[in-house]
Amino acid sequence: MNIFLRELKANLKSLLIWGVIVVLFVVVGTSKFTAYYENPEMLAILDTLPPAMLAAFNMQAFNLTTVTGFFGLMFTYYALMVAIAAAMWGSDIISKEERDKTVEFALTLPVTRGRVVTAKALAALVNCVALLLITWGTSLASTAQFHPDSEFYKFVGLCMVALFLIQLIFLAIGIFLGCALKQYRRASSIAVSLLLGTYFLSILPGLNKNLDFVKYFTPFKYFDAGLLLRESRFDVTFVLLSLVIVVASMAGAYLTYTRRDLYI
Amino acid sequence: MRMNIFRQEFNMRLRSVIIWSAAMLAMLFVFTSLFTAFAPDAELLNEMMSKFPEALLTAFGMNGVNLATILGYFSFIFLFVQVCLAIQAANYGFGLVSVEEREWTADFLLAKPVGRPQILTSKLLAALSGLLITDIVVWVSSFAFIQLFKGDRTYDTQTLVLLLLSIVPFQLFFLAVGLVVSLLMKRIRSVTPYAMALGFGMYFLSVFGDMLGESVLEKITPFRHFDAQYIIQHDAYDMPLVLISVAVILVSLVGSYVLYTRRNIPAVV
Repeated sequence: MNIFLRELKANLKSLLIWGVIVVLFVVVGTSKFTAYYENPEMLAILDTLPPAMLAAFNMQAFNLTTVTGFFGLMFTYYALMVAIAAAMWGSDIISKEERDKTVEFALTLPVTRGRVVTAKALAALVNCVALLLITWGTSLASTAQFHPDSEFYKFVGLCMVALFLIQLIFLAIGIFLGCALKQYRRASSIAVSLLLGTYFLSILPGLNKNLDFVKYFTPFKYFDAGLLLRESRFDVTFVLLSLVIVVASMAGAYLTYTRRDLYI
Repeated sequence: MRMNIFRQEFNMRLRSVIIWSAAMLAMLFVFTSLFTAFAPDAELLNEMMSKFPEALLTAFGMNGVNLATILGYFSFIFLFVQVCLAIQAANYGFGLVSVEEREWTADFLLAKPVGRPQILTSKLLAALSGLLITDIVVWVSSFAFIQLFKGDRTYDTQTLVLLLLSIVPFQLFFLAVGLVVSLLMKRIRSVTPYAMALGFGMYFLSVFGDMLGESVLEKITPFRHFDAQYIIQHDAYDMPLVLISVAVILVSLVGSYVLYTRRNIPAVV
């Protein structure tokens, strides 16, 4: 418990900085969105388009004249932000002991390594949840001026669940890297390259239909804002896949950290 | 400049330079190779788009890009190369001198009979040569892959050269800003979060501008100063904006020398 509390305190500053970034992002985005909200010119254009085409371009999900469309557009950027935060926290929380030369002290305490990992992972998880709640709160607060309907709140709720799963994936991978790698410096750089790599991969299926299989390799494609809006449901395959990644990474983290040599 | 410091720094960074360069090479290959299959679709899309009013296209971030030409398509994928270059350069900038304090080697280095400006010059040149290697890889592979996948389409070599040359000041911006920020801070525990924040922060700012219209805020990001779409459409740099970048680079470099020569260095007791 005291490791958990200590980690929470140590990460508070980082959480606050991320919180401020998210709030700024939402506020700037919303202020720009006001220019598009129920813009008569654009509404007129949209009315002239045939419904089939609207569906083809996914314009219901990404129609900037409605609050829902605005949120659907922003979803990708929220996903990227919370994923970066989660990957950073995950890879840092274990490996920082070695970087700051405090690992000998931490591991001579009368707790097993497994419990150290548990306490640290839980602290990082609490951080992720807090960041998600900040995102959720500011999104709702900033869009309240447009008086959205209950449909919108449901959509935002679903998007937040999707964001939480993305956070969990990157957090677990980060923790696994922090636990498994002998060189502490590698953990965060590999976490970052995975993040960048999967983000770039998520663009490929849009360019070529034959590359649709790529979506299994990038968590950014697991949850599609369009599908969330149209059918209000998750694709079960991808939810399961996310859980498998999380469970496998955490199991790997416990296994490797309990038996590895430390960098002193 | 001291050759031994330069060599040490260069060798230290060589692995990372090779990995980054290889990653960018692979990325350029994958994305450029998709052009052949993508171009016919893009032509259809263009035809359809030409009937749409401009306001709608802006709202969906689709105006100004002609994805059916090889350079238009390349400007779209070039953004991802820029993100990588930005993070790499910011990484080197933030780590350039802060690594000595983090690993407790600063007092060893500074006790050597070499002035601090000389140390900084050697380190900077080593980082620059690393970045230059990456540049050369990007340059050669861009040319090669475009030649390979352009099919029977033509492109303007001069515009491409202009676009590819823009990455040098682009990297310098992130290197210099990273360096000066690292010197303004008391201690940097881990370089990656800072490099990510600078690189991705600037990327976000620029994407935001594309999506939701221009504002003053976007003028500060180098992604905007060296906007690939602008360079390809106008066959020239957006001079006033490029000058902002150059000014920031100069101020940061001068500031770094001033700050580093007067910096308090914590030592192992």
